[in-house]
Amino acid sequence: MNYSRRAMLQSTSCGFGGLALNVLCGEQVASASPDGLETRASTLAARAKRVIFLCMSGGPAHMDTFDYKPQTGKKKHPGSVFRFRQHGDSGLGISELLPETAKHADELCVINGMHADTGIHAQSFLQLHTGDRLRKRPSLGSWISYGLGTENQNLPGFISLNTSKSSIYSSAFLPSIYNGTPIGVNGENMSLATISNVGSNHLSLSAKRRQLDFVQTMNRDHLKQRPTDEKLESVIQSMELGFRMQSVAPDLLDISKETKATLDNYRVGQQKESTGTCKVSDFGRQCLLARRFAEAGVRFIEVSHGSWDQHKNHRRDLKANCEVTDAPIAALLGDLKQRGLLDDTLVIWGGEFGRPGLTPEDGKDETGHNSNGFTFWMAGGGVKRGHVHGKTDHTGARAVEGKVHFRDLHATILHLMGLPPNDLKYWHAGREHRLTGPEGGKVVHGLFA
Amino acid sequence: MLILDSPPPLPSPDLPKLSAVHQFSIRLCLFVALFGLLIAPSGSFARDEAKAVSPADRTFFENKIRPVLVKHCYECHSADSEEVGGKLLLDTRDGLRTGGESGSAVVAGKPAASRIIQALRFDGIEMPPEKPLPEAVVNDFVEWVQRGAPDPRSPVATKTSAPPTAKNATGDTPTPPLWSLQSRTNPPAPEVRIPDWPRDPLDRFVLARIEEAGLVPTHDADARTLIRRLHFDLLGMPPSMEAVEEFVAAHQRDGAKAVETLVDTLLARPQFGERWGRHWLDVARYGESNGNDGLGRNPTFPHAWRYRDYVIDAFNNDVPYDRFLSEQIAGDLLPSESPAERDRHLIATGFLAMASKPAKAMNTSFEMDVVADQIDVIGTGIMGISVACARCHDHKFDPIPTRDYYALAGIFTSTQTMWGISANEKLTAPTTDLHVLEAAPKVLPPDGFVETVLVLESNTGIPKAIPKPKWPVGTPLAIGVRDLAKPADCKINIKGDAQKLGEAVPRGFVTACEAAESTRLKIDPKQSGRLQLAEWLTQPDHPLTARVMVNRIWLHLFGQGIVGTPDDFGVYGERPTHPELLDHLANRFINDGWSIKRLIRSIVLSRAYLLSSDAADAVIKADPENLLVARHNRRRLDAESLRDSMLTVSGQLNLEPADGSIIRHRDILVNLAGNLHQPSNHRSVYLCYLRSSLPPELAAFDVPDFTTVTGQRDVSTIPGQALHLFNNPFVIDQATHFAHSITNDAADNEIRIRLAFRRALNRDPMQNELDQATELVESTAAELKSDEVAWISLCQALLITNEFRYVD
Repeated sequence: MNYSRRAMLQSTSCGFGGLALNVLCGEQVASASPDGLETRASTLAARAKRVIFLCMSGGPAHMDTFDYKPQTGKKKHPGSVFRFRQHGDSGLGISELLPETAKHADELCVINGMHADTGIHAQSFLQLHTGDRLRKRPSLGSWISYGLGTENQNLPGFISLNTSKSSIYSSAFLPSIYNGTPIGVNGENMSLATISNVGSNHLSLSAKRRQLDFVQTMNRDHLKQRPTDEKLESVIQSMELGFRMQSVAPDLLDISKETKATLDNYRVGQQKESTGTCKVSDFGRQCLLARRFAEAGVRFIEVSHGSWDQHKNHRRDLKANCEVTDAPIAALLGDLKQRGLLDDTLVIWGGEFGRPGLTPEDGKDETGHNSNGFTFWMAGGGVKRGHVHGKTDHTGARAVEGKVHFRDLHATILHLMGLPPNDLKYWHAGREHRLTGPEGGKVVHGLFA
Repeated sequence: MLILDSPPPLPSPDLPKLSAVHQFSIRLCLFVALFGLLIAPSGSFARDEAKAVSPADRTFFENKIRPVLVKHCYECHSADSEEVGGKLLLDTRDGLRTGGESGSAVVAGKPAASRIIQALRFDGIEMPPEKPLPEAVVNDFVEWVQRGAPDPRSPVATKTSAPPTAKNATGDTPTPPLWSLQSRTNPPAPEVRIPDWPRDPLDRFVLARIEEAGLVPTHDADARTLIRRLHFDLLGMPPSMEAVEEFVAAHQRDGAKAVETLVDTLLARPQFGERWGRHWLDVARYGESNGNDGLGRNPTFPHAWRYRDYVIDAFNNDVPYDRFLSEQIAGDLLPSESPAERDRHLIATGFLAMASKPAKAMNTSFEMDVVADQIDVIGTGIMGISVACARCHDHKFDPIPTRDYYALAGIFTSTQTMWGISANEKLTAPTTDLHVLEAAPKVLPPDGFVETVLVLESNTGIPKAIPKPKWPVGTPLAIGVRDLAKPADCKINIKGDAQKLGEAVPRGFVTACEAAESTRLKIDPKQSGRLQLAEWLTQPDHPLTARVMVNRIWLHLFGQGIVGTPDDFGVYGERPTHPELLDHLANRFINDGWSIKRLIRSIVLSRAYLLSSDAADAVIKADPENLLVARHNRRRLDAESLRDSMLTVSGQLNLEPADGSIIRHRDILVNLAGNLHQPSNHRSVYLCYLRSSLPPELAAFDVPDFTTVTGQRDVSTIPGQALHLFNNPFVIDQATHFAHSITNDAADNEIRIRLAFRRALNRDPMQNELDQATELVESTAAELKSDEVAWISLCQALLITNEFRYVD
């Protein structure tokens, strides 16, 4: 590379790192590598180095998974319709639908007082990812990569497996280098999902490098005549990252060298037909890839599964979703623990909202959306083990204690990563933006070990 | 470049300006001549207050504050309330300032001290009690208090203080008007200070806003930039080097006249319909397969391509937009003069048969899900309003009650939707009839194809029996809709449950946007009502149809809409940056016979469109999002244009329309068939748009999933795109053809490089570029011992530069 980061920062109105990066990283900025992915020390004591977000899209039914609501009083009311049992030393109550995850009960920190602003899927899903329900804003993974860079310069800081719309993993106004890289799109065949076009043999790697140097020289000249266009600058960085990915990504995506025991644990290759939208083998592969990316130093990995939006046939479809996800998630937790990665990997499970409960024995098998009370769980990464935080009322309809809004969840995650939740900002369109929005988020200290 | 420090004084700065957002007050207003045009509110408005509240503050209040008060607070805090909560009245200015039992609700300028803000923040008091309002709304209130809580309402209590407007759910309580549901105004083109800048009346609306902000527009784009921009915007393809040079010369000679000639030539080319048809196909969620049905099954739509061709032809023939809509909604009910016209009308109704259906097997409300998709494409696609939520409950944000949903639903439940046999997969969808075309030629499948390629029974793996085709092999068929023999009104599905039925709702339209003429539209009880729906949507005083379409057109020419959310003109969508301009364009559109070509022509010949995408720092700082259109937006080529450009430069592009689709004889499950895509040299619009299996040449560049209306595609920058450019076989192929063409056409290295630059970038290389290119070719040839590969490397390099992939 024949241009310095400093020169690049000077070449644009505010430099791709923007104001916040300067504040956050101090003198590192001028000396570090040119593309913004260099590892940056967090400003607070970090409890976690990376995040694996198990995103259950569609709104998982909290009362039939982690938030037990038995019948109370004489009159039947909405609550859990599946059986729960206490697990582990902690005695955490977990639904019969999740027997494998339940074996890790003592690792889980269950948040039962989640609440959000809306029961509209697309809006709440966007808010969960970006803090904003409507506009295209940087995703959580982009903010974290922006704040901390990545530990592996040859991989993106943010990878999204089996994703949906690009607004979910977008870096929006943050430099595009922090955009999520999707692997597979929900609805496509995930058993084949890979990083497309990761190699070709029409040119040797050295010839490709020479070719790219020529392209980048032209791109920089082009940018020089259009100095205020940050997008063009982002493309230049993105081309470099793409180039480096060619050398490491193929091996990382190749899970054939994993042991049979590992593959079996994750249920990779299990042929069982499932009624859900995703095969257990595919989801297992995603979880296994998540571990491999975590190990390789990717900062934020999202693994999606959906849809949990079972309006009709609640019992059958919820069971199917649980069957597909239970064992692979348990395998991931076990694998991370065994490899000593769980201590500094924050695993998060949840969706855009929960669902109202069914009233047992009234014959109804249909649920809707509930954004006033639902469940997330975390594990590893410095959170309490075998712990329940907050609660919903006796019908599970609304959070009543230890309420955690998405912006509080975001603040808490940033804090665990060692980033100052309400001071991680970026200057855009005439004002400072942050993940936690104008209101700011409250760090939920009660979750920390 | 001239930047004014502060706007110079206008002739009468205090006078409120006439604008669409004030429209509701206009209904109550007198016009008084006073130094020009002064709007003095009458009726319940106090004149002194009207003067005291500045136009900007009034706009803010009417758009951001009053609707929220009416919707969330008046129920308990107004003169109409049965019991006034906390003795606090929020429906008058004085009520709000005096406050209730707990004191004043608002302390002007001090949000933190204002009870209303504390309540909205759920800080001590929690209002509205059921749920905190969205952050954005709370922030609006904070800003409003900071502005001094300017309140144009009556100081004293009157019953029903909200203005009379569209009816709400029950039809008797007035709600405040949503801007987009108000009738269009006919705003005069504003006065501007640079009188010779505008070329078209629309320019005055643009310039007035720029001047208001104390800025001046940037300079015009040069001729080279302009022809490239016009080619991409109108055709989706780059110009040839010869066309560029010809235009540059003509522009020097004839100026604006040359632009006009160019625009007219481009509008007449068949590639225009391919470009603009593609935009519409995004709106129409056009796909050639069902997409994942929830069980992983994805049957093809082998006849959908006919609708694609219909759309392309419609844009090329400039079918008036009102006619275009009518054909798509009710083509089967329209009279036709020939078998060919009849075919066209039937094919048009494919618009309503494109649903990405959830599996029948999963679902007790399959039919209502198909209807939901039809209502959604009419709602968000044509009207820019989501009606979908009202399936289960009165719309929480937009004024769409559940009754409206089922009034519309009755139209579609009285309609049969025909998608064919869905790969003979009964779990996915039951088999339906199809339209049989009369004039279209019969096309036999090539050897090796059968009409239905049968796959395995999904559960057992046993090969399926071949069903007997209903029609002789090769019969031309089309997906679409037709009326059921016995149309009937639809019963409300309580909370969206098709098993729990409420009362039947007479078939009808969306009550919130009833225009004056709606009353004469009576649905024939013997028909579904689609014909009247089309008529209702396209009546000239419909508040949404024209606005939504002109905004879509503007968006594709400027890179962003006047309304930033092209598919959402509702309460939570964005407000227009130029409301008067939007109405001005919508009026012109209708007055010009709903001609899309004429509207596009006017816009691209305007001064605003001519602007350079470069501007002084100060302009960019003052308006970083370019909301004022003081410059043009630089845009990345979309997936299709990028592919078509590569094909153009490589010399491989086949400009003939593709004949049908690669799946026209294949009624199969995409998920089991593996990759169905085949290399093609036709334009991208003719590739096979299989849902959940997008054409690999396009997939990297933000192609939507085509299951719902997409008015504006995302533009992401991810390393996966770089990988596509480096390694995708299509890109390498085009680079190879490109290299062969320049090495065939010239022997000398320097001439070859010049040719490559001229073909790819429409310009000659600079000396340093010439040197670098020579160096690239020579060292690559030396390393790889192949001249051919070295030239391929250079040609690929040019095809992946930002200069190639962005339009200024």
